[in-house]
Amino acid sequence: MSVEVLADSSNSELVIDLSAFSSLEEMKIQLEKSLAVVEKYGDEKQVCIDTGVKRLTERQLRELESVLVEHGLQLKELRNSQSCSPGPSSKCTVIDPTSHDLLEGGETVMICRHLRSGQKFFTRGNIVILGDINPGAEVIAGGNILVMGALRGMAHAGALGDEDSVIAAFRLNPTQLRIANHITRAPDGERFVVNNPELARIRAGKVVIEKLKI
Amino acid sequence: MNSKVLVVTSGKGGVGKTTTTANLGTALAMMDKKVVLVDTDIGLRNLDVVMGLENRIVFDIVDVVNGNCKLKQALIKDKRFEGLCLLPAAQTKDKTSVTPHQMKNLTNELRKDFDFILVDCPAGIEQGFKNAIAGADSAIVVATPEVSSVRDADRIVGLLEAAGLTDSRLIINRIRPKMVKRGDMMDISDIIDILSIDLVGVVPEDECIVISTNRGEPAVLGNTSRAGEAYRKIARRIMGEEVPMYSLDESSNIMTRFKRMLKLAR
Repeated sequence: MSVEVLADSSNSELVIDLSAFSSLEEMKIQLEKSLAVVEKYGDEKQVCIDTGVKRLTERQLRELESVLVEHGLQLKELRNSQSCSPGPSSKCTVIDPTSHDLLEGGETVMICRHLRSGQKFFTRGNIVILGDINPGAEVIAGGNILVMGALRGMAHAGALGDEDSVIAAFRLNPTQLRIANHITRAPDGERFVVNNPELARIRAGKVVIEKLKI
Repeated sequence: MNSKVLVVTSGKGGVGKTTTTANLGTALAMMDKKVVLVDTDIGLRNLDVVMGLENRIVFDIVDVVNGNCKLKQALIKDKRFEGLCLLPAAQTKDKTSVTPHQMKNLTNELRKDFDFILVDCPAGIEQGFKNAIAGADSAIVVATPEVSSVRDADRIVGLLEAAGLTDSRLIINRIRPKMVKRGDMMDISDIIDILSIDLVGVVPEDECIVISTNRGEPAVLGNTSRAGEAYRKIARRIMGEEVPMYSLDESSNIMTRFKRMLKLAR
């Protein structure tokens, strides 16, 4: 079993061992399986992941983390059991900034309908919407968001932390825009109507909206 | 029989669901259709009051689904039209007394005897709403030209789509042409832009509605009410007729009619 509870004196901790898997896909599948067990098992909120000798890219780590978040859990620590000894004191980073992520570019999801108030859509990749996003609807993507219609609701691009994500819409008129960890809204008071496609992105640490040039 | 079950819904309260149900039902009955109005607002029943049939209630919808009486016993015949019936809601129970499954069976039972089954939906999106839409073929969404009402209508349309009712139609109620012209009220096109469903009619704000509601006589019965006229048109559209849409310049005021005639003459 790949789920184990290490009872270290007073504080027990939950370690999920993924060292036997090499690809991210396999790791994710195994993680999902393990979490299904964990959810039934107890009230532990923080989880450690052991990847063995495998080194993760930042993006891969984020993907694993988001799987945990979906199950209402937090990543406490990432470990390499083979290379350094596990323990709360020895915090070893296994992120390898040089290794390339093959999933870069991401999958794109296409939605061919309107998103109405109360409806929510989440994906790890990019989203293209052929329709409107109405006030009260939420679209959250790990990558970019492209709306071939009016964006009147809330859109969150780069939700997993990617500051290079953009939000583009034929009519950009959102209640709120979020890119990575930046949140913006239209200024109070006067509102002026723009009848052109626009693009929102982060520039110099701020969300800016510019005319969409192709 | 090729009967239709239409649910009249809005999400927000007080936009005119019950008034719309009563008037549309009456207008359809005036066209010699067999119509039954079903009030699903259990605990807060109103439709019987608007129809002026309050004092005739013996059995209600909860009695029917629980088998305390036969369906025919609970149906109240309208005092004006032979083909119009009302199935009242219970006042002493709550929304959980009926399940969506029971509602579906009930509407299927009613299909045998009626051309149109109009279901008056309660406000909100909880159990009462789920009951009301359970047996419906399509929905009529009522919205007023207010942001909050349109927002709720949007949510409702989304929920209806999720429940498989994709051909919802919109009635814009209580519009004030003068305010729209001044730019103080949402325009019809703004509302359709957001909701993007078919418009089946526009009903102007009309004092006659208050009077007719208090009297228990639907506004479509008289010839003086502009709202009544709008509802008659909507009924014709539901029957499949092509009727020109209400325009903001339109008014039944005798003076303006007279003026328009003079202009035409010139």
